[in-house]
Amino acid sequence: MSTAVVQERVRECVNDVVAAPLRITAGGSWLDAGRPVRDAEPISLAGDDAIVEYVPGDLTLTARAGASLAEIARVTSAHGQWLALDPFGAAAGTLGATIATGSAGPLAHAFGTPRDNVLGIEAVTGTGDVVRAGGRVVKNVAGFDLTRLFTGAWGTLAVITEATVRLRARPERDETIALALPSSDAMEAWLAKLRALPFSALALELLNSSLSRALGLGERAMLLARLGGNASSVRAQLEAMRALGDATPAPESTWRALAEIEPAGAAVARMSAPPSRLHALWARLAHLDAGSYAHASVGRGIVRCIHRASASTPVSPWLAHITHSEGTHIFERLPESAWGTVPARTNDPLSRAVRAAFDPRRVLNPGILGDIS
Amino acid sequence: MLARPSELATYSSDGLPGYRLRPRLAVFPTTKQQLIDVVRLLAREQTPFVARGAGTGLSAGALASGEAVVVGLNRLNKIISIDPVNRLAVVEPGAVNVTLTRAAGAHGLHYAPDPSSQTACTIGGNVAENSGGPHCLKYGVTLNHVIALEVILASGEIITLGNASGEVDGYDLLGAFIGSEGCFGVALEVTVKLTPNPQGVRTMLADFMSIDAGARATSAIIAAGILPAALEMMDGPTIRAVEASIYAAGYPADADAVLLIELDGLDAGLDADVHLVEQHCLAAGARTVRIAANEEERARLWQGRKKAFGAMGRIAPDLVVQDAVIPRTKLPDVLREIATIAARWQIQVCNVFHAGDGNLHPNIGYDSRNADESRRVGMAMRDIMNACVNAGGTITGEHGIGLDKLEYMPLIFSPESLAAQCALRDAFDPERRANPGKVVPVHSCREWRGA
Repeated sequence: MSTAVVQERVRECVNDVVAAPLRITAGGSWLDAGRPVRDAEPISLAGDDAIVEYVPGDLTLTARAGASLAEIARVTSAHGQWLALDPFGAAAGTLGATIATGSAGPLAHAFGTPRDNVLGIEAVTGTGDVVRAGGRVVKNVAGFDLTRLFTGAWGTLAVITEATVRLRARPERDETIALALPSSDAMEAWLAKLRALPFSALALELLNSSLSRALGLGERAMLLARLGGNASSVRAQLEAMRALGDATPAPESTWRALAEIEPAGAAVARMSAPPSRLHALWARLAHLDAGSYAHASVGRGIVRCIHRASASTPVSPWLAHITHSEGTHIFERLPESAWGTVPARTNDPLSRAVRAAFDPRRVLNPGILGDIS
Repeated sequence: MLARPSELATYSSDGLPGYRLRPRLAVFPTTKQQLIDVVRLLAREQTPFVARGAGTGLSAGALASGEAVVVGLNRLNKIISIDPVNRLAVVEPGAVNVTLTRAAGAHGLHYAPDPSSQTACTIGGNVAENSGGPHCLKYGVTLNHVIALEVILASGEIITLGNASGEVDGYDLLGAFIGSEGCFGVALEVTVKLTPNPQGVRTMLADFMSIDAGARATSAIIAAGILPAALEMMDGPTIRAVEASIYAAGYPADADAVLLIELDGLDAGLDADVHLVEQHCLAAGARTVRIAANEEERARLWQGRKKAFGAMGRIAPDLVVQDAVIPRTKLPDVLREIATIAARWQIQVCNVFHAGDGNLHPNIGYDSRNADESRRVGMAMRDIMNACVNAGGTITGEHGIGLDKLEYMPLIFSPESLAAQCALRDAFDPERRANPGKVVPVHSCREWRGA
């Protein structure tokens, strides 16, 4: 769907030609994330998936919002490069959805989240205006930063139609290892040692035992580490990791399997705290239910809990445990009925003013962020 | 508080020549509560104001005129806390950049953004400008290092943006605030990430007989997937200015370009990357590639780069430092075009810049008392901006728009895009009293269409 068509659709809503607001979609695989959007007409960016410009020497790529992460990976890997964003979910997920939801995965440990990797955006605001923010170069402070504003706004300010992202060279070596975690009373000191290593891994992710088992890594809770660099650097990194436990090689495909592990209908929440408190957060959250999955980013201090509902494990005790815990909690997916029981966090006056400025008629994804939208 | 014209002279300009505006008053709160009281008083009096740090900005962004009051933050310079375990620091907005890095040094940490003015500029100013610096090629700009801000809006309301102890939900208002050039509010406290000092550092100097060769070496290194901590270029006129000054760094005075390249990280593997960089430089035509043998030599190589502006300042009464970014593959073309522009307007351009990012800094020395020369400098600046925009670039990479680049904003943004930027500003400061008249041309701030 071209930008002009998106603009036309938004203007129809704004001018009351059509009554129903818009539900922005593309790949369709992430539609159960976020609060429910009710009584809206879908506006799909699927098919508007061209790679608009890719100059490998500049390490930047511009693509339409409907381009899938898998396609971007295919095109860039031919030049030894990648978009270092690996959000949880299917590889068919689109660039637009990744940016709109601010989704990131294990690689955020080294490369940050979409806000750190998006250089520019073209979008249609809820007033029906086509806006370009940022640019196609890697450094840019011209004007107020609408790129950051639209990134992670869940489509409630503008429909992202195109984006330019920063690429990185794939490291010469990219090796994944798994290490068994120590007992829970040794975790604090062990994590401190891990954080103090004199290099930055590409990713450091804790896995609870259910998840280790599901990924074919054995019966114990594990650390999954991804190390990158040239040959001698990776050799030294592996040696340093072995000082922390028995390291066994794991296939790179483990990361993709982890990204796609959550079953349809699972409830997913993220809890975060300063990295120095991760051991406490992990102890509390790693085993909320028999069989539920949990994993955690060591560098970012985020535990992600995946609850698989069944007759013996209903969602409400899980939910109550999370909402009553300390720390910051963010819900990704919940059964529709459960959303009403968790407070919307984006409801401060400034956010309301921003929403009112960019989508005064609330025609874009109304409800997805709660009261504000 | 300063009110006499003679006292206000210091606050009538910043690091960019050619602009002088006198504020009505300048006030210098010494505590956070005083700053809050001042902003609330200004709100009651409906008075516009301009927050100002060290005044090292290069876009005339911290100037105030008419009724506007300068709120100087340089006395709010405390480092409030350092958390070495979580690698965080909380500072007041007037804390000087390098002071934080020095304080963090005791823990083997540093604050990564390192603008050339880091010995004077403040963290609050860095937040306002989203400052970069040579090492942001690898480590990112201010945006990537600030995780929370306590802010007082122009209305006097105090809000927290971001989250110092976990993930952030909702709109990225922290990201929107960083780089808003003082138009969205005043930072009361800034929480930043600290970065571990690298285990090993190698600093190299490659010299070339043409700018073109240096630009090609830069493109080759980036395209090869090596990510240096810094990759800086200086052209012949800059080299000679540095070498003739007290900051002489031992650059070959007959070279037409040098690249200052720094690699850092784990000791293991560093020399392999040094060797690769050396090969790319030699293949592009480098005469010699020198590797600093010790910390003293490394510091000397960097001094030439960091003090290049000072060295050029000795040559002409005034120096205007330009700032633009282009796609890195366009470096050879655009540098050639800048040379043509310099010849056309009969001016001397010195190029000293962050080549790895494609962030150009053409510097023009001139005498602002000479009206004809000033006019030619202005025309050359405009042509350089156009050349960068035509190459797919942007009009500022780290110095900001301020007053100086307002006229160029329509070159890269449509009226709708500029109006949307105004709408964002209005959400933070509906009365437009914080740093009025900066960043977005006033005529672009038509009534946002709405519905």
